[in-house]
Amino acid sequence: MADTKVIMPQMGESIFEGTITKWLKKKGDKIQRDEPLFEISTDKIDSEIPSPASGVVQDILVKEGQTVQINTVVAVIGDGTSTPAEAPKEAPKETRKEAPKASPTEPPKEAPKEVKGTAPIDGPVPETDEEEEGGEEGGPEGTRSSPLVRRIAKEHGVDLSALAGKGTGINGRITKRDILSYVEQGGTAEKPAAKAPAARPAAPVPPPAAAPPPPPAMKFAGEVERVPMTQMRKSIAEHMVMSRRTSAHVTTFFEVDCSRIMKARENSRAEFERSGVKLTVTPFFVQAAANALKKFPIVNSSVDGDTIVYKRPVNIGIAVSLETGLIVPVVKNVDQKNLLGIANAINDVGERARNKKLTPDDVKDGTFTITNPGQYGALIGTPIINQPQVAIMGMGAIKKRAVVIDDAIAIRPMIILSLSFDHRVIDGAVADQFMAEVQKQLENWPV
Amino acid sequence: MEARRKQSQFRLLHWYPNSGFWLLASGFPPTQHMALTTYVEAIRQGIWEEMEKDERVFVLGEDVGIYGGAFKVTAGMLEKFGEWRIIDTPISESAIVGAAIGAALMGMRPIAEMQFADFISCAFDQITNFAAKCRYRWGAGVPIVVRGPSGGGVHGGPFHSQNPEMYFVHTPGLKVVCPSTAYDAKGLIKAAIRDPDPVIYFEHKFLYRRVKEELPTDDFVVPIGKASIRRPGTDISVLTYGAMVYNALDAAKELEREGIDLEVVDLRSLLPFDKETILESVKKTNKVILLHEDTRIGGFAGELAAIISDEAFEYLDGPIRRITAPDTPVPYSPPLEEFFLPKVSDIVNVARELYAY
Amino acid sequence: MNVKDINPEILARQVVPPTRLPPDQTLLDLLYYMKLTRELEFRIERKLYRQGKIVGGVYVGRGQEAIAVGSCINLRADDVVCPSHRDMGAFLIRGMSLRTILAQYMARKTGATRGKDGNMHMGDLKHNLIPFVSMLADNVPVAAGIGLSFKMRGQDRVALCFFGDGATSRGDWHEGVNMASVFKVPVVFICNNNQYAYSTPLERQMAVENVADRAEAYGLPGEIVDGNDVLAVWDAATRAIERARSGQGPTLIECKTFRMTGHSAHDDAGYVPAELFEFWEERDPINKFERFLKERGIITASGIEDLQKRINREIDEAIQIAEKDPFPDPEDCLKDVYYEES
Repeated sequence: MADTKVIMPQMGESIFEGTITKWLKKKGDKIQRDEPLFEISTDKIDSEIPSPASGVVQDILVKEGQTVQINTVVAVIGDGTSTPAEAPKEAPKETRKEAPKASPTEPPKEAPKEVKGTAPIDGPVPETDEEEEGGEEGGPEGTRSSPLVRRIAKEHGVDLSALAGKGTGINGRITKRDILSYVEQGGTAEKPAAKAPAARPAAPVPPPAAAPPPPPAMKFAGEVERVPMTQMRKSIAEHMVMSRRTSAHVTTFFEVDCSRIMKARENSRAEFERSGVKLTVTPFFVQAAANALKKFPIVNSSVDGDTIVYKRPVNIGIAVSLETGLIVPVVKNVDQKNLLGIANAINDVGERARNKKLTPDDVKDGTFTITNPGQYGALIGTPIINQPQVAIMGMGAIKKRAVVIDDAIAIRPMIILSLSFDHRVIDGAVADQFMAEVQKQLENWPV
Repeated sequence: MEARRKQSQFRLLHWYPNSGFWLLASGFPPTQHMALTTYVEAIRQGIWEEMEKDERVFVLGEDVGIYGGAFKVTAGMLEKFGEWRIIDTPISESAIVGAAIGAALMGMRPIAEMQFADFISCAFDQITNFAAKCRYRWGAGVPIVVRGPSGGGVHGGPFHSQNPEMYFVHTPGLKVVCPSTAYDAKGLIKAAIRDPDPVIYFEHKFLYRRVKEELPTDDFVVPIGKASIRRPGTDISVLTYGAMVYNALDAAKELEREGIDLEVVDLRSLLPFDKETILESVKKTNKVILLHEDTRIGGFAGELAAIISDEAFEYLDGPIRRITAPDTPVPYSPPLEEFFLPKVSDIVNVARELYAY
Repeated sequence: MNVKDINPEILARQVVPPTRLPPDQTLLDLLYYMKLTRELEFRIERKLYRQGKIVGGVYVGRGQEAIAVGSCINLRADDVVCPSHRDMGAFLIRGMSLRTILAQYMARKTGATRGKDGNMHMGDLKHNLIPFVSMLADNVPVAAGIGLSFKMRGQDRVALCFFGDGATSRGDWHEGVNMASVFKVPVVFICNNNQYAYSTPLERQMAVENVADRAEAYGLPGEIVDGNDVLAVWDAATRAIERARSGQGPTLIECKTFRMTGHSAHDDAGYVPAELFEFWEERDPINKFERFLKERGIITASGIEDLQKRINREIDEAIQIAEKDPFPDPEDCLKDVYYEES
């Protein structure tokens, strides 16, 4: 006959232990099934407990007065022949079993760290992203992406750092579009041809620089309003930093006497108006610049790796400031136009820019840019080169000043022209010579 | 019928004057004689047809008989089916549902009406502890339908505008459905009546007379547990149900001008729900907006967000976004209620942000 | 409630004495089922539960056996019973086997709910027994609906609905009785007024003196009977069942009795004055009925002994089988939430 274990019963749903108050039988006594065997006390009730089986009380494992957990074996009923069992421990203070600690999970697999295909950088090594928004862990070398992008990259064996800095998502995040077009183009470092928003003047020439260091997380104690950038603003922002990274920017300043061109303008104004063309001073500067560009073709070039690309046409972009941002419509073949033609063209593109009627053709293929910081009164500007050009000229405000001519003081309308140029291909001497030519053109304008 | 339905697109019929609301129509070819049916009429038809077909089906509730129902869902039924099948009861939601349970155990197919879905809380115990657990505990099915008008936008205030669905979605043993079109309203009430388990059917009161469709006259059923893609798209999946389906469609129209292509998925059933269609949509567009009129904490969006994150994480190209009512009771004053309910502009703004992410 | 407040004469005046007697065989059946109920519950509460073979909660109806047995004994097979937790006799009379009941208590797969629910939460449509839920009085509207379905279909079936004094405080009780009365459904509402709801005595449960007083408020007849007199219960119930069956609507029967145990097996009812137990022990329904039958010569003392032996044997056998029945598989937890095609 098998032994029957006698357990401490659970007398109530919230009860987890009981105390043996009295054994009604002792070891060796015969007992019938359902006959009272012992008495217990719990928080709720005192009870007499009947035996679950008939036989002989073989072992009493819990003494009177001892408190044990429910389901503890307190006695064994046998047929009197088996060996005694071990006494159980007193109910421990901590009654809940602790779950075994979960083994630490494997760290997620990351894409390999070597950089493929891009030129080595001199700049600071980029740190991994400390995200404040977006909640994604930085991928290799701080490239922000998303689970989807990482999966696609993994599937195609793409190292995400190859796209570092080329993400078109918020804060330069690499989006699904970015990774897919990268993959489609055979995974080269080429920047994908963007759907041209109106402001984008640059042709898709790949800049040679690698990943810029990501900006530190923004912390500001105060009320803020977060406004996502418009497409145009994003493009301008990207272009500006890219230009700075690309060219070795130096700016030189020339003060030019505008009295002759002002006079020339006076003389020709009425005549131009009869042709329906409003004459400002800008066409003079454009023509002067065009003539100088013909003399110094290096200023009308682009840089492609270690090749200088001289451009035959002289297409001058005129920067127009709109409410939504900056736009640079281009007047094509300025060298083939006379003043009237230049004035007309300038007015036309300016008009169309302000009315948002520019075509993609209007904003591409510029070779030189003129901007007008003087429009709002600035004396001097330090403009950023409009990539992939190598120079940009800024016009300050025209102001009457006291100047010295032939050792006498005269009042002249003066302007300070600034030329920001790319020192990779234009040395300071060349830039100054170019500007000297511009100055000469302007100060010797036929009146 | 259902398979063909999936391919049809919604086509504009006409601008319903002074309501600020578009009426939508299906693209069904007019091979059968069809009538332009409102959402409320579709429910009425569904109940009527089932009662004609199956003598076990009956309706009980407050004002359903002689008055034809507070919203006229049971108009004309007393005259047709008699007082033992359209039963006017005392004001006793718990007893209405309890009696329905008893009759269902005896083999009948009762439809218990809650005059406003808000009052279903008075019958909460009978629904969640008796009806929901019978089959599990002792193998007895309780084929009842508990139905009532839910949702806001009608200046109803806190007790006539609630979305109580989640109390019941959280109760295993129940089924919960929320149709948004007239076709689905009819198809789902039939499915609910025919279902061997208790079904809670929330009809959106805002849609009662604003939504109309040409419905086929032959018998059709919309299966419980299947979603419907109202507008296929490629850029962002909007998962929603009830009256918000129309807000999502309006937002989609506005956004398509900006080149943002929304996919609008109408869940139709919350318990069981169509996980397959949901995940398929997310895997296609890689960006998700979860939209409901119910309040935020404990709303269905939280459940879907967890599932999507769990089972489609590697398909996400942006964070999962939720657009819901705030965690307050439904307010009464019009500017307050307008603030409370998710708007088309909310959807448009979130979609733009998510698109640009 | 103090024992000095209980005036037996007042009690006698309140209750409706029986106007007739059932046939002899019925008398013997009544005794059998009351004793079977008593012994089964004794084994469950005093033995199996304390041996750890039953877990969770155990609730018995000791001293109240006459109520379920007296009212259910003459039901038809197609009548429906909605019992509560102190109506073990109802399950036995309706045909639920001892083995199924014991397996239910011991949480086995062969129990009435296959381990999904415990103790008295059992039932079976085969026996027209509707399991109750812990939210007591939920079964009252359900019973009303059951009666409604009989009326709708023109059937002359009857439903019996059992509940205690405490349950009559719940809203569902009032909604259900009201609805049953409005629709005049064929239901007999039977209140086991054992004067305590856990530790809450009657005067803390209601402001009226009798549960049956509420019947008038809902427009149905109410009767008070001595719940410890199985013949009184039988008589009142049979009349009410006939009323219902003939289309005259529902009745509320209040059976005055006393709860001779704690609320549950782990409650020693220390809040009940000892004198009350003594007073009601003298009015034990089984002892009373045995005396009556012996006086009438319907059974002898040794006949009663033999009956007890038979009952013990039946229960022993059932326990032996049920004890060996398997527990449900863990994955059974996920089954039967919804209808599944099989």
